[in-house]
Amino acid sequence: MRVSLFATCLGDQFFAEATADAVRLLRSLGVEVDFPGGQTCCGQPAFNAGYWGEARRMAEHTIQVFEESEFVVLPSGSCAGMLRTRYPGLLLVDGPNGEAACGLAGRTFELAQFIVQILGVREVGRGLEGQRVAYHHGCHALRELEVRDEPIALLESSGAELVAWETAEECCGFGGVFSVKLPDVSAAMADRKLETLPAADVLTSADGGCLLHLAGRMKMRGLGTPVQHLASVLWEAARGHR
Amino acid sequence: MDIASREYARRAREILQHHPQVRESVTGATVNFDRHRRSAYERIDAEAWRRWAEGVKTHLLTHLDRYLEEMEENLRKRGARVHWAETPEDVHDLLRRLATENDVRRVVKGKSMLSEELGVNRLLESLGVETVETDLGEYILQLLEEPPSHILGPAIHRSLQDIRDLFHRVHGTPLDASPEELAGAARRVLRQHFLSADMGITGANFLVAETGTIALVENEGNIRISTSLPRIHVALVGIEKLLPRLSDLSGFLQLIAGAATGQRLGTFVSLIQGPRCADSPDGPDSLHVVLVDNGRSRLLADSEAWEVLRCIRCGACLNICPVYRQTGGHAYGWVYSGPLGSVLAPGLVGLGAAMPLPFASSLCGACEEVCPVRIPIPDLLLSWRRRAVEEGLTSSLERWVMRGFSGLVTRPWLFARVSRAARLLLPFLRSRGLPVLRNWTQHRGGLSPSPKSFREKWKEGIE
Amino acid sequence: MSRESILSRVRAALSEHPRRDHPGHLEGERAPGDVLARFAERFRESGGEVQQFGSLEEARAWLDEFTCDFESVAVSSWVPDEVRPGLREEEPQAAELGVSVARLAIAETGSLLLDSREGRAVQLLPPTHLVWVWTSGLRDRLSEALEEVREELPAALALHSGPSRSADIGQITVKGVHGPGRVIAVVVPRPGSADLPDR
Repeated sequence: MRVSLFATCLGDQFFAEATADAVRLLRSLGVEVDFPGGQTCCGQPAFNAGYWGEARRMAEHTIQVFEESEFVVLPSGSCAGMLRTRYPGLLLVDGPNGEAACGLAGRTFELAQFIVQILGVREVGRGLEGQRVAYHHGCHALRELEVRDEPIALLESSGAELVAWETAEECCGFGGVFSVKLPDVSAAMADRKLETLPAADVLTSADGGCLLHLAGRMKMRGLGTPVQHLASVLWEAARGHR
Repeated sequence: MDIASREYARRAREILQHHPQVRESVTGATVNFDRHRRSAYERIDAEAWRRWAEGVKTHLLTHLDRYLEEMEENLRKRGARVHWAETPEDVHDLLRRLATENDVRRVVKGKSMLSEELGVNRLLESLGVETVETDLGEYILQLLEEPPSHILGPAIHRSLQDIRDLFHRVHGTPLDASPEELAGAARRVLRQHFLSADMGITGANFLVAETGTIALVENEGNIRISTSLPRIHVALVGIEKLLPRLSDLSGFLQLIAGAATGQRLGTFVSLIQGPRCADSPDGPDSLHVVLVDNGRSRLLADSEAWEVLRCIRCGACLNICPVYRQTGGHAYGWVYSGPLGSVLAPGLVGLGAAMPLPFASSLCGACEEVCPVRIPIPDLLLSWRRRAVEEGLTSSLERWVMRGFSGLVTRPWLFARVSRAARLLLPFLRSRGLPVLRNWTQHRGGLSPSPKSFREKWKEGIE
Repeated sequence: MSRESILSRVRAALSEHPRRDHPGHLEGERAPGDVLARFAERFRESGGEVQQFGSLEEARAWLDEFTCDFESVAVSSWVPDEVRPGLREEEPQAAELGVSVARLAIAETGSLLLDSREGRAVQLLPPTHLVWVWTSGLRDRLSEALEEVREELPAALALHSGPSRSADIGQITVKGVHGPGRVIAVVVPRPGSADLPDR
């Protein structure tokens, strides 16, 4: 099986090692990974800020880049949500690319979603034995993609203990452009997540944006729970097993 | 009430920095409301109920002319007077006339967001009519001279101690009075108002076209008393509040109670068909139903935004909204706040006046999941944002950045180079010159990008 | 005129939307088991009290003991003599106890359906409210009850589900804010002299 990796802007610039871990993880599961070099940004920041003309151009570009891909996998629930749930509406409006958008939407998956739903794998390895993991459900993975059980299943089968986090499904306040348009509210939202965070060895999520925001806020408040992208945590689970 | 949403960001910051108790009270109350809502949804097949309710409201809205006429006819048959008001001024004129003709000196009010929207209290005061809010939360706010901050729990931003201090000042209750003592003090004062009022003014939760029934839901009993004792009852109702049939009411009464507070039914539900008639020993001599448009018919014509008219004002979207929870409703600067307010304000007062409310959301989507009539709030927010851009309501800097960014994105070689440059420069950039960067770093510290991009790693080969 | 301009704007707006059919009846919960038990459980859940008697004599005996704690009462015109308290009668705003008769009682929501024809003040002003519920007036669902009264709607109906309450002061629930702080539903067979509508 062959998948095209869509690294996403944050995956490329801020979570390069986690993105590499996603590649390692997929390869360890017998998947051949390619990386179409023409990929850039999915256009979500423009779309969410109301710049649909610009977002449409970015979407058309992305559709072209992944035209030949059998599967497109992203280490980001939010960007995967953009491709799966927003592209069709954005492009059907007046574009000849509507059909291609729907096609891409059907072939696009967030990493954990792909592993569980397409590969049918619910355990990547038991390398997290004894670790307490706090999982933050990114909003778009949860509500646009309806991916709730997939990352949990992979983490639980890794031997990790998932800590009960009252606000695990509550928005962290990142929200892309929201985080810089309304920074005070955004930070207060992160604080609520952190005020309710139980003791854990690692805080993880499928979305780099949320992690960047939460980690920054933790640093500002002098909190010390390590933050790691889900791809790296799962790769650790897989690698530890070998 | 005028809209002051332009001040949203400043007010939000001020509340967070200088009134931390607001965040604590509002979060506590809304988390509690939402927990009850969740258990109510678990008791029923919530998905089926919500689909049904969406269907009934959509049917109603797409046949609204017919149902408005049916409603009017049925109300008239029972002796109610029906008035139509296009604007707040129309409502003011009517109330002025009713007050003068009937020598109204004192009005008791049931909680009505529409009356806030229309500025009814200010008008009545200007006429010299003593106007008393009788919902306990609204009464507290009237004493504090504050607007409601939540459509259901208007005073949830205030703590027990705030109210102790207030009642100590106004009613002379002890500074450590229990909630029971405080409520008792309010009860004694308000009971006298009920007994001496000439007019009761309420909103309405639903209006049943088939029977002309005005349905009002509450927990305290003040609405029941306000509609039973004074000789005149005026109900202010938005034209979108109708339901087609009496048989629709049982579903909606249960759904609004569950969505709002998790109750099976509001403690008191009034079902009013008309003024007192020969067979009833008490009740108002006259009933005036005011059907208010105030922008609703215009919004109905807006095929991208009209779905918000299904709203039954349960407050579930406010309760679950993590943005609302940080500041409460006052930051929004309008009578309706939270996700509902952000999609209703541009529809009723115009997008220009409602800015930046459509942007006061992280688009997390929790609101849509709990909405009892399945209003796709995130889609509506996105649509208003798109229009804000089209209408030139966003900053020129932002427009310039977005245009430039999309230009880069469609040129991969350039995108890669610019990304690399930005990544390498980022640690050395002083945020002073870049407001966007400052807005990030101020709350989250400096950004530390990966030493090498994934693209570079890929080229080198991933082991 | 406002009426015409509102209606014409609404009609014009509706040309924008395809008409949607009414989705029909909502299939609500149909719980198995005893209607009275379910009513009692849910009425109590919201803070109400429930008494049940198999005969009027038992109810009468309970009533005479219950009313010892009260000095004055306001009684609705619907209360038959068999169950009228022997207390000094007062206007509702002065009485300690209000006594009325429910038109129906609903298990699904734990509610009493009250009618304006017996008087509203008696249902609202005294701090304690005692409501007679005839066994024959128990209904399973709210929709059923509303359907039943549809053909004979008085000026006003009300559903009371427990005592008056508010959480507006610091989110702490307080009872008896404006309406009665205590409400007791007494379920008994219908007395021969009760002539309220019950069909």
